[in-house]
Amino acid sequence: MTPPRALLEALPRRWAALPSWTGALLALLALVLATTLRNPTFIGGENVLNVLRQWSFVGILALGMTFVMTLGGIDLSVGSLVAFAGGLGILVMNTALGAAGLVTSYEAALGQAGVPLPCGAFRYALSRLFLQLGLAGHEGLAVALGFAVIVATGLLAGLLHGLLISRGRLAPFIATLGGLAGYRSLALALANGGEVSSRSPSLFKAIGTGGIALPGTNLAPQAPVPVPLLIPWPVLVFMVLAVLAHVLLTRTRYGRYVVAVGCNPRAAAYSAIDVGRVTRWTYLLMGFLAGVAALLLASRMNSVSSSGTGLYYELDVIAAVVIGGTSMSGGRGTVIGTAIGVLILGVVGNMLNLLQVSTYLQGLVKGLIIVVAVLMQRRPSSAA
Amino acid sequence: MSAATSPAPLVEMESISRDFAGVRALDGVSLSVRPGEVHGLIGENGAGKSTLMRILDGVLRPSAGRLRRRGVPVSWRSPAEAQRHGIAMIHQELHGVGELSVAENILLGREPGRGGFLRREAMAATARDCLASIGCDLDPWRPFRSLSLAEQQMVEIAKALSQQAEVLIMDEPTAVLTQREVGVLLRLIGDLRRRGMGIVYISHILGDVLAVCDRVTVLRDGAVVRRFDDLSGVTEADLANEMVGRALSDQFPPRSAPGAEVVFEARGIAVPGCVDDVSLAVREGEIFGLAGLIGAGRTELGEALAGLRRRRAGSIVVRGRPCRAGTPGEAIREGIAYVSEDRRGTGLVLGMGIRENLTLAALRQSGRVVVGGAAERAAAARQVRDFGIRVGRLDDDVATLSGGNQQKVALAKWLEVRPAVIILDEPTRGIDIGAKAEIYRLIHRLAAEGLICIVISSEMNELLGLCHRIGVMRAGRLAGVVEAAAASDRDLMRLAAGVASTEGTP
Repeated sequence: MTPPRALLEALPRRWAALPSWTGALLALLALVLATTLRNPTFIGGENVLNVLRQWSFVGILALGMTFVMTLGGIDLSVGSLVAFAGGLGILVMNTALGAAGLVTSYEAALGQAGVPLPCGAFRYALSRLFLQLGLAGHEGLAVALGFAVIVATGLLAGLLHGLLISRGRLAPFIATLGGLAGYRSLALALANGGEVSSRSPSLFKAIGTGGIALPGTNLAPQAPVPVPLLIPWPVLVFMVLAVLAHVLLTRTRYGRYVVAVGCNPRAAAYSAIDVGRVTRWTYLLMGFLAGVAALLLASRMNSVSSSGTGLYYELDVIAAVVIGGTSMSGGRGTVIGTAIGVLILGVVGNMLNLLQVSTYLQGLVKGLIIVVAVLMQRRPSSAA
Repeated sequence: MSAATSPAPLVEMESISRDFAGVRALDGVSLSVRPGEVHGLIGENGAGKSTLMRILDGVLRPSAGRLRRRGVPVSWRSPAEAQRHGIAMIHQELHGVGELSVAENILLGREPGRGGFLRREAMAATARDCLASIGCDLDPWRPFRSLSLAEQQMVEIAKALSQQAEVLIMDEPTAVLTQREVGVLLRLIGDLRRRGMGIVYISHILGDVLAVCDRVTVLRDGAVVRRFDDLSGVTEADLANEMVGRALSDQFPPRSAPGAEVVFEARGIAVPGCVDDVSLAVREGEIFGLAGLIGAGRTELGEALAGLRRRRAGSIVVRGRPCRAGTPGEAIREGIAYVSEDRRGTGLVLGMGIRENLTLAALRQSGRVVVGGAAERAAAARQVRDFGIRVGRLDDDVATLSGGNQQKVALAKWLEVRPAVIILDEPTRGIDIGAKAEIYRLIHRLAAEGLICIVISSEMNELLGLCHRIGVMRAGRLAGVVEAAAASDRDLMRLAAGVASTEGTP
């Protein structure tokens, strides 16, 4: 048997050999345990799935942010981008759905006093196009088009950020700070400061509100027909993407390059790695994931609020990534840690609600958790 | 040693030693500077000049030895403290604050003020006086970055004088100046000497040293090998001989005879500001050396050949095949690899594991998209075995390895891409003798296996022992190519320093 003294001495070394997210995982388990003890409804399937669905959008963004921050960059624009991409997608979809009516009313309006909305001319032209292509009024096509526009907007924004940073030599903070202001402003202009609501009767909201039934569960035992527990699509998408992201970061050449560039971009360039290209792909990936998050969120709400949707998401996303042990200066990051970070934020929010802590004070708790998490990640090994 | 007529030295360094992590960089070096004296300090790269001056300047503390200021024992812990004792240094790379004005730079940290507000008129007046005292009439409000290098140097000197410096250390002050500016500077140095200042003058340009210095101390391998107290009759060749010294050890394996066929050719390589129309030809099985002083353009040439620097002109032909090598990726595909002189900054990715570093350069070539599997582990394990790299675990951070083992990882990393040409920049810098010998044997083995090896080094003896032929660079140009077996370190030093190259040895 190992004498306890030797075991104790071995502990710090064992600790250093554990994955970097071990601490975050322990914190998560402690939070779950504490919350459950105070309020057993927390661990119920419905509550857990609600929390997961609520945080899956931030989670999907955090997957992309893990790559961006491991690369040594940052993306502040994700929240605004979600609002803009979602709003634009719904607007295009609505235009396709109501093309015939739009063309008539705009032509009438044009005859009188000009175009009322700033984007009126754009929608008019789009409506004419849909009518000519014979696509107008078909819900399936319109929803597919809306989804495509949302993802494409994310991709284009990611491409733009990548180009500004790699070719324009802009600091990532600055390039995406421009996006933070710019996309929000575009979203506000698009919706005239209000909401863009989907006119699709059922199809558009299906993916955000639906899910896969968990067999053998029944939420309403008294009802004549069993009501199974639904695993929401956004949660499933987040889980699948998280697995893919983990493989991408740890087991592919691209992931290796991201870590190398994040550790030392000069050394990476000297190793014949095309640093600009790795940067562009990473921001493109971030843009794609922002598109996916926007799609699911818009579908879940069946609308986009130009002033509220995605507001301060960038802070939650960066917080989740940092709590998960990804280094702000790049070179070190794990997808597993990020997933745990997202869950910690979700559990804390839910716990504070269940414990009836004032919503005004919840931000303080979140802030404390971020600071403590980062302080705890100062490993003794890095100081030695 | 000092004659009765000599005044007491302004500063004396006595038996100074300095160790870095167990390596002795300075061993019992003594140096004194008298009032009104220009004391030359010369030696090869790595001989210990900078370490000695960093001790005098207060950046480093000596491991052993004493400092005396006008006969009084002193010690200082920071450059600021050394400045208060009247020691000032003009660095080779000037350290002015580009965004501030001339006056603000001269008075940085000592601004005249009242109640926290600057007194601009007083600043300008002080700065103008300082500049006038060295015969310079720059506008005190010009931004520092708008000045020429010579003007920046003048500002630095004015700043030193305004701090009442009595001892001025000038590190390679003429390297960046035009011929006319050198004349101005040397006259100014003569003027400062007449005012009773003591000047330590470090330079590789031996002609300037002889022109301006009263005495010269020669360092080699961290020790004083010769002190010239009287320079009358001393020639540049005498100085060069003392600098390089002897001792060609038997750590080099015997050279095999190279073939006749030229397998690597670089023609008219030019990099703006660094390399000017350099052409090289390397034969089958030959190890080609590149010598030169710091700043001669050797590293820049190596980087240009490997696509790491943009070339303005020039072509590269490897085994009859023209290479573009416009980017590092392209260079690798065309078989040209460059092992950086800066192991920790650019050669290896510190913070990543040994395994990841070993395979990083070859990942693309391997065509594998999925990494981290058994194949990569096996490849890394094979590299560790082949190159005799002493590691704990393959996944440990590469930063945990010793210098010699890090260098082997850097080499192995590039050999994994199976290059046709490998450019080794300072392959033995900062590693111990045993590891050096291993690296030399490895280079010989590679050359014998048909790899074209170009070795850049600041150690003349290393090039003479290792290479077949050595090209010597000076100010971005190839000053000459010598057969290593027939050449001496003096020949290399003469070419590198620009002393007449064709005359016989005295």
